[in-house]
Amino acid sequence: MKMIQKRGKFEYAKFMLTWLLLITFLSMETLADEPMTRLRPVVPDHHLSFPHDYGAHQDFRIEWWYITGWLESGDNKPLGFQVTFFRYATDQNHDNPSHFAAKYLIIAHLALSDPSAGKLMHQEKTLREGFGLAYAKQGNTDVKLDDWYLVREDNGRYQVDMRADEFGLQLSLAPTQAVLLQGDEGFSRKGPKPEQASYYYSEPHLRVTGTVFRNNKPVAVNGSAWLDHEWSTAYLDSDADGWDWVGANLDDGSALMAFQIRGKNGGKVWAYAALRDPSGEVRFFNPDQVEFTPLRTWKSPHTEAVYPVAMHIRTDDIEWRLTPMLDDQELDSRQSTGAVYWEGAVTLTKNQQPAGRGYLELTGYVRPLAL
Amino acid sequence: MLELINVNKAYAGRQVLANLSHMLRSGEYVAIMGESGVGKSTLLNLIAGLDAPDSGDIRVNGVAISQLNDDAATRLRREQFGFVFQAFHVLPHLTVHQNIALPLLLNDRSTDRVEQMLANVGLQGRGEHFPRELSGGELQRVAIARALIHRPALVLADEPTGNLDPDTAHDILQLMRSEIKANGATGILVTHSHVAAGTADIVLNLTKNGLFQAQPEHRR
Amino acid sequence: MTSASLSRWLLVGEWRAHVAQVLVALIAIAIGVAMAYSIHLINTAAFNEFSAASKHLSGQADMQVRGRKAYFDESLYPWLANQKDVAVANPMLELDVAVVGKQSIRSDQKLKILGIDMFRAAQISPDLLGLPAQGKTLDRLASDTIFLSPAAMEWLQVQQDDELQVYAGLHTLTLRVAGGLVRARAGQRLAVMDIGAMQWRFEQLGLLSRIELKLQPGVNHHAFKARLAEELGSSYWVTEAADQELRVENMSRAYRINLNMLALVALFTGAFLVFSAQALSVIRRRQQFALLRVLGVTRVQLLRQMITEGIFLGALGSLLGLSLGYLIAVMAIQFLDGNLGSSFFPGVKPGIFFDPIAAMLFFGIGLCVTLIGSIVPAMEAARTRPALALRAGSEHAVIEKLASPWPALICLGGALLFTQLPPILELPVFGYLAIMLLLIGGIALMPRFTAGFFSFLTARLHRYQIGAVSALVLARLTNAPSQAAMALGGILASFSLMVAMAIMVMSFRVSIDHWLGQVLPADLYVRVATTGDQGGFQVTQQQDIAGLAGIERVDLFRTQQLILDASRPEITLFARPIDGNDPRNTLPLTDDVIASGSLPEGVMPMWVSEAMVDLYGYRVGERVQFPVGASFHEFVVVGIWRDYGRQFGAVQIQLADYQRLSGDLSINTAAIWLRHGMTVDTAIEDMRRLDFGSALEISRSSDMRALSLKIFDRSFAVTYVLETVAVIIGLLGVGASFSAQTLARAKEFGMLRHVGMTRRQILAMLAAEGGLLTALGTTLGFVLGWSISLILIFIVNPQSFHWTMQLYVPWSWLLAVALLMLISAALTALMAGRQAVSGQVIRAVKEDW
Repeated sequence: MKMIQKRGKFEYAKFMLTWLLLITFLSMETLADEPMTRLRPVVPDHHLSFPHDYGAHQDFRIEWWYITGWLESGDNKPLGFQVTFFRYATDQNHDNPSHFAAKYLIIAHLALSDPSAGKLMHQEKTLREGFGLAYAKQGNTDVKLDDWYLVREDNGRYQVDMRADEFGLQLSLAPTQAVLLQGDEGFSRKGPKPEQASYYYSEPHLRVTGTVFRNNKPVAVNGSAWLDHEWSTAYLDSDADGWDWVGANLDDGSALMAFQIRGKNGGKVWAYAALRDPSGEVRFFNPDQVEFTPLRTWKSPHTEAVYPVAMHIRTDDIEWRLTPMLDDQELDSRQSTGAVYWEGAVTLTKNQQPAGRGYLELTGYVRPLAL
Repeated sequence: MLELINVNKAYAGRQVLANLSHMLRSGEYVAIMGESGVGKSTLLNLIAGLDAPDSGDIRVNGVAISQLNDDAATRLRREQFGFVFQAFHVLPHLTVHQNIALPLLLNDRSTDRVEQMLANVGLQGRGEHFPRELSGGELQRVAIARALIHRPALVLADEPTGNLDPDTAHDILQLMRSEIKANGATGILVTHSHVAAGTADIVLNLTKNGLFQAQPEHRR
Repeated sequence: MTSASLSRWLLVGEWRAHVAQVLVALIAIAIGVAMAYSIHLINTAAFNEFSAASKHLSGQADMQVRGRKAYFDESLYPWLANQKDVAVANPMLELDVAVVGKQSIRSDQKLKILGIDMFRAAQISPDLLGLPAQGKTLDRLASDTIFLSPAAMEWLQVQQDDELQVYAGLHTLTLRVAGGLVRARAGQRLAVMDIGAMQWRFEQLGLLSRIELKLQPGVNHHAFKARLAEELGSSYWVTEAADQELRVENMSRAYRINLNMLALVALFTGAFLVFSAQALSVIRRRQQFALLRVLGVTRVQLLRQMITEGIFLGALGSLLGLSLGYLIAVMAIQFLDGNLGSSFFPGVKPGIFFDPIAAMLFFGIGLCVTLIGSIVPAMEAARTRPALALRAGSEHAVIEKLASPWPALICLGGALLFTQLPPILELPVFGYLAIMLLLIGGIALMPRFTAGFFSFLTARLHRYQIGAVSALVLARLTNAPSQAAMALGGILASFSLMVAMAIMVMSFRVSIDHWLGQVLPADLYVRVATTGDQGGFQVTQQQDIAGLAGIERVDLFRTQQLILDASRPEITLFARPIDGNDPRNTLPLTDDVIASGSLPEGVMPMWVSEAMVDLYGYRVGERVQFPVGASFHEFVVVGIWRDYGRQFGAVQIQLADYQRLSGDLSINTAAIWLRHGMTVDTAIEDMRRLDFGSALEISRSSDMRALSLKIFDRSFAVTYVLETVAVIIGLLGVGASFSAQTLARAKEFGMLRHVGMTRRQILAMLAAEGGLLTALGTTLGFVLGWSISLILIFIVNPQSFHWTMQLYVPWSWLLAVALLMLISAALTALMAGRQAVSGQVIRAVKEDW
């Protein structure tokens, strides 16, 4: 989701899924080896069409709607939130007439970064599509998992309602800018091979109003968010080890998205960045122009993973510095679905000047357990 | 009728009887006295064939009882012997009549004589009583009747009055003597009591050196 | 000297002097406690494991929703999942499936497969999630994969990635073993598949077995359950975990309790041995006690002394018994299984756990039993006046007093009364009490019987000249019966129980054999290795079977499992053609029937098993609402049939009624009668050649009969063992009592040897005493046992298992056992008598005490 690059996303999604299924990173290969598939590949020169492409694309293996943002409550304390809905095609059970046939899975993540709590609150759910209990509909954004849902109204406004045991949110997100097509008109490459790609668009600067629940107490909030919608069938390069991604709404109305796919040797497999100025002009950066450099690391007390939570990013001639709202924004759900990554609210400077707020995602930093 | 010839008996390495010889005539009623542990009971057991001497012979009416096997000795005892014990040893679950008849039954003989015997020992009409209804003296009368009912040749009595008071003891001793005599049996009475011994024809003293006739002053 | 050390001296002295007798009493108590405790341990372990395994399957669910029938429509699932108070709704489909190569008509040869939605199950019963090979995560959602518990893998001889063939209706289905259920319980045979895959591959589309619910925190379970039950209506059951435990408990309760009762019988026998040992010891020490009393020991001190001895004996024996019982239980679990030969706890590998409370309970029972056995003789010893006791020849007064007939008669009267009382909590409590009272009363009357019988015999023989030995034997048995009878207490108890069990088991077996003949009249029974609630044969297949050559008649059966009461196990519904004119031709009916002519027109008849009467209150002539198909319909109960196969209840209705009401034309079983000249083998071959032939389970009725009886015998094997143990304890008791009495009678033998009884005569006398006593004991034991068997057959069985049977007495077997007992007892008496002819008895005449 926020990891815009196709490859990052794929890997991420795959990671998520496999984690969810209580398995470790190693499962990437197996899905890649799927011999016969009814799923469609991502190809260049495909024209995205709206509102149809706001909805689900069942012919692709993986798809997600990903929203991150900064919120402020009455006491002016900032909160970060992350909402993700995945749709995953198992590529199985095509002939199974059972209503339980596991053809599609819906996975959802909810996370709230609260500096006053000092840590990230998060919850995940997974369910097979069916019985109206979980679905990702075609035609417009309409995703549901039990009582969690994300719906795009005809006027473009998104409604999100997700409640967990201790926390939750109920938000309304209104667009203030046009859709931002990533890559080549929405065709976003994730690696050196052309098939390593996704269809990808973003909606930066969504204006947020609504309610956040902390300890089951409602708090009115408003703020600004970033939405990614991305779908694909192909996978990350087999050499990929993880990725770093950032999406930020800048104070002047610009929007920045950048990611790099890291190789197993620690080097850069692929990278990409896009910067849209308030007038709507988009500047794209190729892999050579994008550079991620860790400024400070944080060692998770939960997983012992070491994350570069403060990051320096260069996009050609522009220097960005990312500072986390909290160090501990790790999603450690090994007790439930198993996914572990860092997903955190960050503030940005552009060439040493305060520039805005965004979300940084760091994956692939937890080593699989050597069994 | 009873001959003891060079009888030797040792228990646990202790010589109890050494080269004992004696002869008893038919119809004699003798008392044997002696200090405790001198072998009186051993002697009775040997005579009754309940124990065998280490050497020597014991003959009853010419039969060497000490040479017989257990069954033969038992049969001999059953026919020829009568016993009276200090503790009476009357079977509690048999009636007085049944207790007295026991030797007859064992010898497969008619029990007709039991009633007369009951009368003889002064227990007329008590035949159907159980031993628990009888006094000590009466129990010993039963025992005497049982000892003589089958007209044995030899009656052995071991302290028959040891458990009785002097008056009763006197009656019992008289009864025993008269019944032995009346039945023509030979009697051996083993006792510590000079009074009791006095009811016998002859009193013998058993010592480490043998059997000796007691001094006349011991006789009544 | 303190009184404590006096007490110790007396105890040690007595025990040292009579080691054998004390040992036997100790062993009797120990074995009794051991049997009872080990059975308790094994049963508890099996039950706990079984219920843990059941619980394991439903994880941390707060509630379960089931249909009245075994399967219900899946549309309930989204409805429940959307309930505000429901946190998780976990749908499950459960099937017992036949495995290719493991075909059998027995249900424990089937593989239980659970169809789960792993995403729901993960939140309620994560243990049910299979562990796929690394990187094969999606195997858990695939439609051709199955996950097996270690026990199932071992049983089926398959490994990960092997193929497993199972029957799905008339087809075979090949599944890939994708991994294990590593957290299944030891011994639990279980398989898991994806629920969607399972619905599809096993042709159960749209069906669920149950839905487990986890409620939102703070929801009132009771109120929610009540509201849900009301909204769902009568077609569904909402149960909480406690209800399910109750259900599991109800399933095996009668069996467990009855087995425990049997185990206590062994202990009960032990009590009689303690009584006789203590009573004899009192007699033997009468003069010793009298002396002590003369020397200044008070009555209470004496009583305390005897009771202390009883406590020591009981505590020692119980401790020994607990250790022994634990050992037996561990070994039994190790080498057999937790079932003790029954099949109440299938697929379970329990472990024995030491439970201090149970251990204390059984310790207490052992101690109490010993004390009860000690108290009467102790009171007697304390009551005796010393002057009397010091007199020779007064030994027997002691016991004669115990023989007041009133307590015994009151016991017998109580027993009679208790047979008329109804069960408590569906358990035949009064039945067992009646048995106990009957035993106590019978045994207490034994001395009277002995005295009466032998004095009668003596009187009859009076005219004849009898030998000395006979006279002595008769006199002793007539005049001192108590001591003699006391020796027999244990053997009488164990023998009468053995007789009772033999009669009951044989009656049961004969009844079942007869019943099997009635319920399996056809030559062959054909069914499909099924799967769920669907009858395996559709109409075309029914026609295929009926169309085979050489078949004279085919009867079709439709069976279904239904829940009528959520706290009870399922009942079975049979729909089959029943001869309306004379249902007796079809069903093993009892006499409680309505004549077919007296039925009003248009009512649907129903025949119910005896269990339905006891458990659900169905009465002949009653109109009942019964669920068939989608809804309830009115039936009239027209008859009651015996059912030894299903103790939880079964009903039979006409197949035509069923098909009309439900629209379901499938059937489960076809009973086939062959034409004359057609051999069974040929018929089977023909059926195998049908295109669905390989999936058929074809059983000959003779095989089914044999198998049923084999299962029957196996489930009663434990009973046989217990009874044998009880009898051996009884014989041990006879040996110990005889040998103690022989010692006590040393002077008697000494005198008899003096007056000319040979050794052989004395031995003959003892053997005759033992033999005659045992003969009388076995006769009485037989009468007592026969009475007890009546209670077992007509009270305990109907109340526990809800079936009645016809009385059948296995005469030849009983005679053989009686003879064996007679010989054993005489031999025991003889062996004990060897002391009686030793040289010591001769010297005994000189020892006055």
